Amino acid sequence: MKYEISKLTKSMKILFLIGALCVGIFAQSTEPKPGAPKSVKIPAVKEFTLKNGLKVAVVERPGVPLVSAMLMVKTGAEMEDEEKAGLADMTASLLTKGTKTRSATEIAEALDFLGADLDAGANWKSSGVSMNIMSDKLDKGLELMSDAVLNPAFKESEIELLRSQTLDGLSYNLTQPGFLANYVASVYSFNKHPAGGTIESITNIKRNDIVDFYNSFFIADNSVLIFTGDITAANAKELAQKYFGKMGNDNGINEITESSLPGITNIMESPESVESRKKEDAKAPLLNRILVVDLPNSGQAAVSFARNMQHNGRIYWDDKKNGGVVSKTYFPAIVMNSLLGGGYSSRLNQEIRIKRGLSYGAGSSFNWQYYSSDFGTRTQTKNESAAEVAELVTTELKKLSEGEIPENELNPRRMVLTGSFGRNLETNEGLTSALGELYAFELSPDNLNSYMNGVMKVTDKDVKKFAAENFNGGDIIIVGDYSIFKDDLAKRFPKIPVTVVRADELDITKEDLRKK
Amino acid sequence: MRNHSKIALILILVLSLAAGAFAQIKVKPMDIKQRTLKNGMKIVTLQDNSSPTVAIHVWYDVGGKNDPEGRSGFAHMFEHMMFKSTKNMPNEKMDRLTEDVGGFNNASTWDDFTNYYEVVPSNHLEVLLWAEADRMQNLNVDETNFASERDVVKEEFRQGVLAQPYGRFYEYLSSLSYQKHPYKRGVIGNLDELQAATTKDANEFYKTFYRPDNAVLIVVGDFDQKQLDGWVDKYFGSIKKPDGKIPRVTIKEPEWTAERRYEKTGPIVPFPATAINYMAPPSNSADVPAIRLAEVILSGGESSRLYQEMVRNQQIAQEASFNLDLKLDGGLLSFIGIASEGHTSSELEKAFLAELKKIQEKPVDAKELEKAKNQLITQTLQRRENNDGKAIAIERAIAFQGDPLAVNTEIQKLQAVSAADIQRVMKKYFTDNNRVVIYYNQAAEEKESK
Repeated sequence: MKYEISKLTKSMKILFLIGALCVGIFAQSTEPKPGAPKSVKIPAVKEFTLKNGLKVAVVERPGVPLVSAMLMVKTGAEMEDEEKAGLADMTASLLTKGTKTRSATEIAEALDFLGADLDAGANWKSSGVSMNIMSDKLDKGLELMSDAVLNPAFKESEIELLRSQTLDGLSYNLTQPGFLANYVASVYSFNKHPAGGTIESITNIKRNDIVDFYNSFFIADNSVLIFTGDITAANAKELAQKYFGKMGNDNGINEITESSLPGITNIMESPESVESRKKEDAKAPLLNRILVVDLPNSGQAAVSFARNMQHNGRIYWDDKKNGGVVSKTYFPAIVMNSLLGGGYSSRLNQEIRIKRGLSYGAGSSFNWQYYSSDFGTRTQTKNESAAEVAELVTTELKKLSEGEIPENELNPRRMVLTGSFGRNLETNEGLTSALGELYAFELSPDNLNSYMNGVMKVTDKDVKKFAAENFNGGDIIIVGDYSIFKDDLAKRFPKIPVTVVRADELDITKEDLRKK
Repeated sequence: MRNHSKIALILILVLSLAAGAFAQIKVKPMDIKQRTLKNGMKIVTLQDNSSPTVAIHVWYDVGGKNDPEGRSGFAHMFEHMMFKSTKNMPNEKMDRLTEDVGGFNNASTWDDFTNYYEVVPSNHLEVLLWAEADRMQNLNVDETNFASERDVVKEEFRQGVLAQPYGRFYEYLSSLSYQKHPYKRGVIGNLDELQAATTKDANEFYKTFYRPDNAVLIVVGDFDQKQLDGWVDKYFGSIKKPDGKIPRVTIKEPEWTAERRYEKTGPIVPFPATAINYMAPPSNSADVPAIRLAEVILSGGESSRLYQEMVRNQQIAQEASFNLDLKLDGGLLSFIGIASEGHTSSELEKAFLAELKKIQEKPVDAKELEKAKNQLITQTLQRRENNDGKAIAIERAIAFQGDPLAVNTEIQKLQAVSAADIQRVMKKYFTDNNRVVIYYNQAAEEKESK
């Protein structure tokens, strides 16, 4: 190998010497070979814990005078009651809408004056406030951020304004086929509730619910403060103590126990039962049901496959006993996803967009959760080809467990993961959110160092096994103008039961998904 | 021959002297090197070895405004074809060279230009230079690829325009405002004219616009300057400069002399919307920094005037923004609002015009101006955090100001804007005659044709 590389270099030197006259033809038709790879530096994370139990993580990265700071609370929409869906996001969003001493407008004025870009909200697993700011303004920015996190006023007028904004936003989203497909899947396929809430649940949320949620979870023990960028560990320690040293712990946290999680019935199952159900699922057909949300006049149809992985829930998170390392299933899962629907050249995009021109793009992803992660594919196509696309998605899912996965296809898909992982860590914001996600799942930041290796070790057999054990019994969900694809759908899926609900009659809180 | 610009070095000195005046913000200028190959291709490079990646952008001076007659959307559809086979590469080879080695690629078509870009581990730089040079001169346009990409673009149109509640509304902004300029057609075009396009059109378009003297190569990241220069000479220097002139758009948009008003409807419009457009100056106008600051004062962040007044106080809008859309021949200055439940397009219009009057009549105070500058400068720096961000900044400076070094004066120019400048530009461009008002609402029950 070494010999060949030096030979190549030599011949290129000769080409240069010959000069510009005759280089053209040779130079242009032969693809040059890449040089020797350089290793990507994974930034070192320094951790310490304040006396009140608040964990602080710092990555020192001087150069650009910017810092990213995040106060992450390890609780999100998973702890909401179904009837109060949207509570976690509303609670976090209200933090910046007024404190004991500052109005919402004063906070916005002060943050904008600092040029700070502050974001507050919740996802399924975590809540929090994050900020990007010039390093010389960090002290002032943190004063505002800590005031928001520690002293929120939760004024009724702000709750009402946010409620009406949230409802308007939801009504808007519910006219979009792609959003609707995810929204119905959360209940129909994942047996949960939509993290952003429903019209009814947002209307139901009272100030008390917000205060309770805040008191229970926005405490030092349940939070991590992360700094990345132009900051030293010593400086971070001082600022953390100054602004979050008083964050309390005595609000009586509701322990996150398996039985307190709503909407999940079988997580207490014995390992034996899980194993036997796994075997059963392996024998079940890939598709269980088809749900159509009929949206007349829709410009396109959204087509997805949805499956929750209840029996194999802890795909991402393992547990503290395991030293905070991601579970054994995690790497096969993400390599499978990269092959199937992660990135431009994944199989779904190859089959649906590149080969057939049926869509602008197709992909798939996991939504990692504590006990029961969800998996979905997504694409949009003209209504006429909705059923054809559903069939293509099904075929590709089957091929994962039944077909071959050649190494020359698999390795590039591993590189897609390691490459985007490295790129994501280049910006402070990307690095902060990667750390936030690890901490939200009680995982050690060391996982950043083992990621590349974890991905590279996954084999074709691992991917096939994952697919065989996890996808069977899933659903196809189509949101679009049913009159256009009705016949084709019946022809292509003669044996699968189809449920049709009109979008204007949809109510996902009802058993049959219909308004009464 | 290499003739790297010395201007960058001089600029560092100027800036470090000037930095004293703006004590708070010290920005290191980018040490950009420029040269022009004999075939007319411009090369702009910025070495930064802090991360082992490199961003490569090839920028072409052709965009939606250059769509052939009766072929709206063509420049964009052609951009898709540039990922298909060449004399030396099979279809989607660019993905093999980028995605498969842990990088990525993409391209975008704008009204004024088209860019192709990749970020790859830096040991792959030479391969990508070879590939970009190859598709600049050796593209195959075959019928099968053409038909399939046309279908993809039609789906892109459906996804972006038809399946979005406000997709058609955003298309109306240009199509109803411009009277003559090709900007009125919009980059995405329409389904009929996309369908009408042929491979003959594509070959002609390629020959006309995809040539070294119509392109700029931008490379930012981990490389050795001497080695890079050698590769550039080898792969791009050997491309022949074709004979013949590159056709340019010469149509001028006539002055808008009277207010125009439109009421449009769509099949799925959850809330009424309103747009108020004014014709903007060309993107290289000296008035642009003042307009950008006005943009932030009116709609940057939750403390901005439009958000505070229309979303928080009056609560008539769920979204209320003001945008400067930069274009070489004059873009649009647009107030865009989406009403909240129970409110109307005309309420939005009234509120926008009241805010406009305020900013025209009373100069913004010093603190509000400083706030806007802080917001804009922080955002500018943030966008330049990694190699690709820097390459994008350089590319936009080329596209909109005709000079990559404009990235190094951008912040200074923002700093220099006064309250009086803002008041002046708000009076100059926002006149009653220079206005197009568009209302967008739900169509009556009847079914739209499919």
